[in-house]
Amino acid sequence: MDFLAASAGPIAEALGTTILLAVAAGIGSIVLGTLITAARISPVPVLRWAAFGYVQFFVNVPLLVLLVLAVFALPDAGFLLPLTPTAIIVLTLYEAAYVAEAVRSGVNTVGKGEIEASRALGFTLGQTLRVLVIPQSLRAAIQPIGNVMIALTMNTALAAAVGVVELTSAANKLNLVEAQPILIFTAAGLIYMALALAIGLTAGRLEKKLRIRR
Amino acid sequence: MITSRSNLRRGLVLLASAATVVALSACSSGAGSSAVPGSDPTASAAAGSLDSVYANAPVAEAAALIPGSTMEKIKQRGKLIVAEALDAPLLSQQDPTNPDDVEGFDADLAKMLAIYILGEPNVEIVPPASETREALLANGTVDVVFNTYTITEKRAEQVDFAGPYLESGLAVAVKSDNTDINGIDDLGGKTVIVGANTPAVTAVPEEQPTATIVSFATDPQALQALTQGRGDAYVQDFTLLASHAIDDKSIKVVGQPFTTEAYGIGLKKDDSQFKSFINDWLLKIQADGSWAKIWDATLGSAVESSAPTPPAIGSVPGS
Amino acid sequence: MTSTVSAPALYDEPGPRTRRNIRIWSVVSALVILGVVVLALLQFASKGQLDGDRWAPFLDIAIWEYLGVGLVGTLQAAALTAVFGFVLGLLLALGRLSRIAPIRWLCTGYIEVARTIPVLLLIYLMLFGLPQLGLNFPVLWKLVIPLTIANSAAFAEIIRAGILALPRGQREAGLSLGMSHWQVDRKIVLPQAMRFVAPSLVVQLVSLLKDTSLGYIVAFTELLYRGQVLSAYNGLLIQTFVVVTAIFLVLNGSLSGLASRLQRRPGRRSLAAPTESAPAGLTTPNAPVDR
Repeated sequence: MDFLAASAGPIAEALGTTILLAVAAGIGSIVLGTLITAARISPVPVLRWAAFGYVQFFVNVPLLVLLVLAVFALPDAGFLLPLTPTAIIVLTLYEAAYVAEAVRSGVNTVGKGEIEASRALGFTLGQTLRVLVIPQSLRAAIQPIGNVMIALTMNTALAAAVGVVELTSAANKLNLVEAQPILIFTAAGLIYMALALAIGLTAGRLEKKLRIRR
Repeated sequence: MITSRSNLRRGLVLLASAATVVALSACSSGAGSSAVPGSDPTASAAAGSLDSVYANAPVAEAAALIPGSTMEKIKQRGKLIVAEALDAPLLSQQDPTNPDDVEGFDADLAKMLAIYILGEPNVEIVPPASETREALLANGTVDVVFNTYTITEKRAEQVDFAGPYLESGLAVAVKSDNTDINGIDDLGGKTVIVGANTPAVTAVPEEQPTATIVSFATDPQALQALTQGRGDAYVQDFTLLASHAIDDKSIKVVGQPFTTEAYGIGLKKDDSQFKSFINDWLLKIQADGSWAKIWDATLGSAVESSAPTPPAIGSVPGS
Repeated sequence: MTSTVSAPALYDEPGPRTRRNIRIWSVVSALVILGVVVLALLQFASKGQLDGDRWAPFLDIAIWEYLGVGLVGTLQAAALTAVFGFVLGLLLALGRLSRIAPIRWLCTGYIEVARTIPVLLLIYLMLFGLPQLGLNFPVLWKLVIPLTIANSAAFAEIIRAGILALPRGQREAGLSLGMSHWQVDRKIVLPQAMRFVAPSLVVQLVSLLKDTSLGYIVAFTELLYRGQVLSAYNGLLIQTFVVVTAIFLVLNGSLSGLASRLQRRPGRRSLAAPTESAPAGLTTPNAPVDR
């Protein structure tokens, strides 16, 4: 166990990278995902198709393929960014598709009657969305988005496969030196579980706080 | 690749100058120049010239396959399971247009070993990541590792090594247009790409403590990272770098190898019977000249020099 | 989930002015999207990535055979994971709903743990850890076992959502007819729940198929790994990985299409929305959550 304490520095640094990946891609994907949903329910057919195509692409192609493509192939076409920003961008684009699906499931929970009522009251589409649809659907989508954020945190581990030194990669390196796989990977697993628990609790608290009393 | 130290230096100088200066048109199969795999003339020429080597390859006497030994189990199974790369040019590379055809110095030696045990070159390849070789041996997934596997005392705690069967050293590769870096001495403060779990991971910080290390899981990934500018230099085994530099004109090898690496055949820990069996085989293929012929057909095609003298068996700590 | 937009009646039948606005916005957004695509293509072209001779090798049947072997590996790993993951997931779902508390705790614990550990970490644990315990599996199983652990939890949650979505009356009716709990599960609850979550199960299949690309890390012969070896051989990185991406897109796209057809299947209506609050519960399990 001593070596775990001795290597606390690099592990903490790697955990920092994991959290950076998760937070940056988390915020990015929530913003982008919401915009995609907005495009998807817009009255403009081109935007709807584009949003549909976007979601279909990222839901059907493995994240690892996208990471390998972005990190090792795209620089050949002149698209070159450092490793961590590349991983953040790919994670953002990828998870945004899942956020969009989660938000859309929230939109579907908004009662048809409520929308019709708002229209009867003379609300414009913008007003209906701002006052009625978006607040309600985001509220309903908190749990699903929380689940996407948990999945995103797990997916940051794939950045290890393209050279980003995050938690999984650091654990792997430590294991190569110490040859204590069960201990090291279990410890790393516990850290991931703690991160997931934190996200789950935050989502639960948010949901409770924003609940509408009917 | 030569027993005495000064000879090794000279051999490596030859290799280095060949890699940086000589442009061998016959070998330019990489990076977009010849896009159709399988059209590489050296590969087929090498294969042709090795047919006679295989035909005359030594086969172990029945008595050597001691009942209950690892080699006898392999014989009964009918194939030798080898951890070797599929993407290392001149060492062990698979031809995607003909996937059964894996060629290179490591791959051809593995076939020779299969002939020695089985009488036919029946090899099953398990491609390892450099991080997984010890595990593959320890858990018996593979019989042997032919994978530019440097013999170190640290590794020897987990696995056994037969050989060494080839000697080389770590060298520095940079992009062709880089004139600042002329060897390991210029890497202070630079970003240096290394392969995960290769000797470079520790060797570079020893030589240049201020260098930033970026590691990638596979050699092709690390090479791509260098050509794409993710680091200033790539430190890897000289043989590998030299063969890359011939395929890919955008990189060059600079300076001399700054370490001596002896490659061994990785074996499961504590199987001394199998180890001495393989060492016997190595001596036989060295004595009958097939070791040199294979070197000529593979790594030798990258340089204009004759085959070096193979290293002495057991000459390195850990072997 | 793949169906086109079913936005709730957000807007009236557009009038002439709105129709004109929509047309304007359609043109503007189409131009912007087109512009981005053209810029990207120009960038690719400027680096010679669109040159015919960089793509021509992919007309060679041998390359497709080579990638095809990888695809077979992908499908093999996915099929095994799907079967084992589904069976284990079914047991876990029933266990989590069990009336026996320890079973419930055990299954809940398993699901929560498996859901919150990266598959890659499980793969490493399998690769380096189990051999230390004297357990060793062929490389296919080093991929399939971690994937099964992760996906069984996802399957369990989907099936559980399906069971919970059934009106209570169904179970009560069965019990009042003198059927045992097991009989009710087998004859009434599960058949309906399965029909109900069939689209989500297919969506999970897509996610699982994507997970098999992690075989790349254990050097299992699957599509991405073969793509890597191929690209190292021919130096055509962009072309090779674009082809690999396209294969995944076609394969998973057809599965996703199947999922949305199941979603719209008329038979589902009989189970739809007994109460106003039901849709929330029903849409959630169907939303894909990749892991």
